[in-house]
Amino acid sequence: MSSQIAVGNRLVVAPWRAVLARTPGVAWILGLLLLVFAATSRDFLSAGNLLNVGQQSVILLMLALPMTLIIMTEGLDISMGAVLTLAGVMLAWVMVRYGSLPLALAASLATGLAFGIVNGSLVALLKMPSFVVTLGTMGAAQGLALIVTDGQSIVGVGATVESFYSGRLAGVPLPLLLGAGSYLTCHLLLYHTRFGNYVFALGGNPEALKLAGVRADLYLIGVYALGGLMAGLAALLLTARMSSGHPTAAIGMEFDAIAAVAVGGTSFERGKGWLFGTLLGVIAVGVLRNGLNLLSVPSSAQVACIGILVILALFIDGWKERR
Amino acid sequence: MSADSKVTGLWLAFRSGAVAADLRTIGYRLSAALVLCVVLAFASDAFLHSNNLLNVLRQASLLFLLASGLTLVILTAGLDLSVGANVGLSACIAATVIKSSGSVLLGSAAGVGCGLAIGLANGLMVAVMRLPPFIATYGMLWVAHGITYWYMAGTTVYGFPQSFRALGSGYFLGVPIPVYMMFGFLALGTFFAQRTTYGQEIYAIGANREAARLSGVPVARRLILVYAVSGAMAGLASIVFLARMNSAEGDIGEGLTLPAIAAALIGGTSLFGGVGTVSGTLIGALILTLVLNGMNLLTINASWQPMVTGIIVILAVLLDTFARKRGEARN
Amino acid sequence: MTAVSAPIPGIPLLELRGISKQFPGVKALDDVSFAVHPGEVHMLLGENGAGKSSLMKVLCGAYRADAGEFFHRGEKVAITSPADARKLGIAVIFQEFSLVPYLDIAQNIFLGREFRGRIPGSVDRRRMHVEARRILDLIGLELPTQTPLHTLGVAQQQMVEIAKALSQNARILVMDEPTAALSDRETERLFAMIRQLQAEGVAIIYISHRMAEVFALGDRITVLRDGRKVGSLLPREATPDELVRMMVGRSVDMSYAREFRSEFGDTVLEVKGLHSDNGISDIDLTVRAGEIVGLSGLVGAGRSEVARAIFGADAVTAGEVRVYGKLHRGGPDQAVAAGIGLIPENRKSEGLALIRSVADNLNIAALRRRFSSRVFGPRRARAIARALVDKLRIATPTTLRPVQVLSGGNQQKVVIGKWLEAESRLFIFDEPTRGIDVGAKAEIFALIDALVRDGAAVLLISSELSEIVNVCDRAYVMCQGRITGHLARHEISEEGILKLAMHHE
Repeated sequence: MSSQIAVGNRLVVAPWRAVLARTPGVAWILGLLLLVFAATSRDFLSAGNLLNVGQQSVILLMLALPMTLIIMTEGLDISMGAVLTLAGVMLAWVMVRYGSLPLALAASLATGLAFGIVNGSLVALLKMPSFVVTLGTMGAAQGLALIVTDGQSIVGVGATVESFYSGRLAGVPLPLLLGAGSYLTCHLLLYHTRFGNYVFALGGNPEALKLAGVRADLYLIGVYALGGLMAGLAALLLTARMSSGHPTAAIGMEFDAIAAVAVGGTSFERGKGWLFGTLLGVIAVGVLRNGLNLLSVPSSAQVACIGILVILALFIDGWKERR
Repeated sequence: MSADSKVTGLWLAFRSGAVAADLRTIGYRLSAALVLCVVLAFASDAFLHSNNLLNVLRQASLLFLLASGLTLVILTAGLDLSVGANVGLSACIAATVIKSSGSVLLGSAAGVGCGLAIGLANGLMVAVMRLPPFIATYGMLWVAHGITYWYMAGTTVYGFPQSFRALGSGYFLGVPIPVYMMFGFLALGTFFAQRTTYGQEIYAIGANREAARLSGVPVARRLILVYAVSGAMAGLASIVFLARMNSAEGDIGEGLTLPAIAAALIGGTSLFGGVGTVSGTLIGALILTLVLNGMNLLTINASWQPMVTGIIVILAVLLDTFARKRGEARN
Repeated sequence: MTAVSAPIPGIPLLELRGISKQFPGVKALDDVSFAVHPGEVHMLLGENGAGKSSLMKVLCGAYRADAGEFFHRGEKVAITSPADARKLGIAVIFQEFSLVPYLDIAQNIFLGREFRGRIPGSVDRRRMHVEARRILDLIGLELPTQTPLHTLGVAQQQMVEIAKALSQNARILVMDEPTAALSDRETERLFAMIRQLQAEGVAIIYISHRMAEVFALGDRITVLRDGRKVGSLLPREATPDELVRMMVGRSVDMSYAREFRSEFGDTVLEVKGLHSDNGISDIDLTVRAGEIVGLSGLVGAGRSEVARAIFGADAVTAGEVRVYGKLHRGGPDQAVAAGIGLIPENRKSEGLALIRSVADNLNIAALRRRFSSRVFGPRRARAIARALVDKLRIATPTTLRPVQVLSGGNQQKVVIGKWLEAESRLFIFDEPTRGIDVGAKAEIFALIDALVRDGAAVLLISSELSEIVNVCDRAYVMCQGRITGHLARHEISEEGILKLAMHHE
């Protein structure tokens, strides 16, 4: 088998092995998962279930999109799950107390943004390693969530908030619309703005940015701030889905996000990033979790499966680079 | 060399030398711990109560067991984020083996073996597959965590023989048994780090990995060794935890990684590698335990603990970063 | 040496008068004057360390000259920052590119100077691609402007870098050995482009090591040596031999002369047909006991790569290395066990653990030999270190000092001491005198001489030709990853080495 692929501005006939090498790994993984689950579970391919997968993946997508940018700058944000949790708790708390959705949303966004800016400043201005910084802020966010809730769920957020998860607009579930909006926004940011160009440069050749006279550190803070902001927005969906603010609601979700990014072909080196790959990666992780659910594999074992998936993806990534 | 110049030499070494820097670091930290004790003694009547003091020591020793192995990893400029999850899985495996076989020894061996296996896997990922340590061990965290919950399936294993429980909650000559273990492993760890060629090579790898490699240090093998030791120490810590709690659930190791990292960093071990001591980590564990104990005594909600620990980690790294910048500037 | 000046009519585009730049211990540039005219290709020649790169950094504003004046079209100007240089239309193309791998060609050309779109923060991509296309057409690069940079070869990346410079309206282009990584065909295309730019009135300052290029492209040739301008001449007035003589000069530094012997011991190192994946091929060489063998060549010729391949630091793809007749395979740990010691080129990043003490650094390579029980004795280690400090006269009050506070010469002695302690029999010195003052240099060479008198074998890599000439019993010369010549003691001369290092094409 052979096929034509484009190299630069020429078309060349390539052997099937080259085609394999050029097809992104995430497409294979996703296809394989779909096949396996379609074969093993009768419910999997039902429209209701597929919609369910999409709906449940939106929160993950909203974390994975900014995580892609962060990883492109050779950083990592492991505080994201905890920040999402805290923002959700803040949202529920303000909602229950004051009953104002704009106020609650503002609290949630502000919480996320504040953590993002702190993370970004520590990493960009003080040149601290991102994984320890965010490990520390993860602890802080987790603790704050426990303090605000006193360890209990905050219930009674009201139907307005809940409708963001269950409602529909023109027949399309609202979460899907929010997800599409987030994806589009991030796509425009990454591929059509100066900010996006500089994100590629921050990971690929920060020296080039300095030579061009760009304040690279400010843009790096921006990347982490975006992560916080998106976590704050995702908190709306999270709280709507659970109809409450729970102090451990999304602990560890950053791991699914990192998994989706890694599986989606974004690399920890040289600023290689692919936003659409992250979308596919999110769907792959969502499908994996959903399929394993249908096969009644406990959620804990699912985490282990995802962990192995990430390590595998990273290993293949590094192995390809080295060749 | 005359005695006089020896003294001058020692003084100069103290001013600038690496060995002396260790001593100085420990000195500062020890005084900080003492100041903390004095403050707490004034702030709370209960602090100086012997039960409380022994409790602090016991908790610090549990933390130290976990952090001592981690210290070796950080000395190589690496990190092991999986120690907490490792404790969880190792404790649960040890618990079920003790229950099913009735043999404390077999169960403990299974726990330590499980920890060792996780550590070896980390080491292979870092040294052979060349994954960045924090990513590899972060992945391992969730793998171990997932396996633990799946393995326990929501059940709790509890009620162990008295002989086993003594390991965690027993006393010998009025001092908790884990405290003896702490000093035992302090001696062992210090000997390993300071008085074996392995230790020297580990410091060299952390200070400059490429220079160490070009000096003939088998870097990959030493990295596997430190991750394996860290894993085995987590396994051992899990046994002591289990004996103390007298029950094992899926969440037994949760929230232990951050304090362990905090203990090592407070103790003066540098994230950038090549600087730090096992004894520093002991003092770090003591300081962190004192802080958390003080919060308890002042009836501050336990929910504040992860936040305080997180902030302490960031402050410690901040200090470390500044110290390194100063070193570079002097260079 | 007479400085031949070839006056060119008209006002120069850029003129430098009496530029000097001093670094601690080194005068990098000493009263250099120099001019480029519109449409001129001005070749800059010199040995390694002659001051070419310092001059380049002064031109682009990365360094500030201590003394001297700049004139742009006859008007006095100041260049104190990269922004100044850019305003004057000076663009420098360094060997390491300032390009971003996962952006496309247009985005790279306009990085930091994007055309703004209507929405704040957005980028007018269409206009960027149109402009980029125009510039690419100008230099004859046919690739689509949407091509991601990481898919380009080195030559194409270089073209993009040039396009980037032109997009900033550069009228003076400084190129640092642009053909170092290009194939013959790519070189031809680059030359065609340079001629085209020349026709458009762009002035080009071209740094090269290759004689053929100098005569093929140059309108004028300026030779630098030891930070001074030796002369400027026209290609038709010059011959390659004359240029080589100008680069080398006549000054022979006798501060490290040694006694040569004619009797050597057994072959210690034998390398046959060595290839490694970082660009060296077909390396054959031998070193005998008691012999100092030089490995010379220009920067980038592959000398350090040979050293690393022998030592096992880089993967060897073919060929064999024998030490005392025994096949050596495997990594540096095996090399150390086989008795090889490497004194690497980058002392600070590869030779020393800077934050550790003198004693720690001196003991690291010998740990397994000295402490075979694996129990480490700090007191014994310090005694060993003290003995070495005395023997090598390392200036440090105590062995407990971190090596980072030592001077360059003393740091180098620590690296050498490490291998003495490890009882190495083959020492590979890679640029042992880099960043070391004159007095310490003589000491280092005295040490090397003592090593061979003691029966050790030495492979000496040096860019300073006088070192090879004064010290080596034999010398190999490399060019572009291969050995191009083998000189016996009486054949070694600076001219001979330079010819072998440059003429191979």
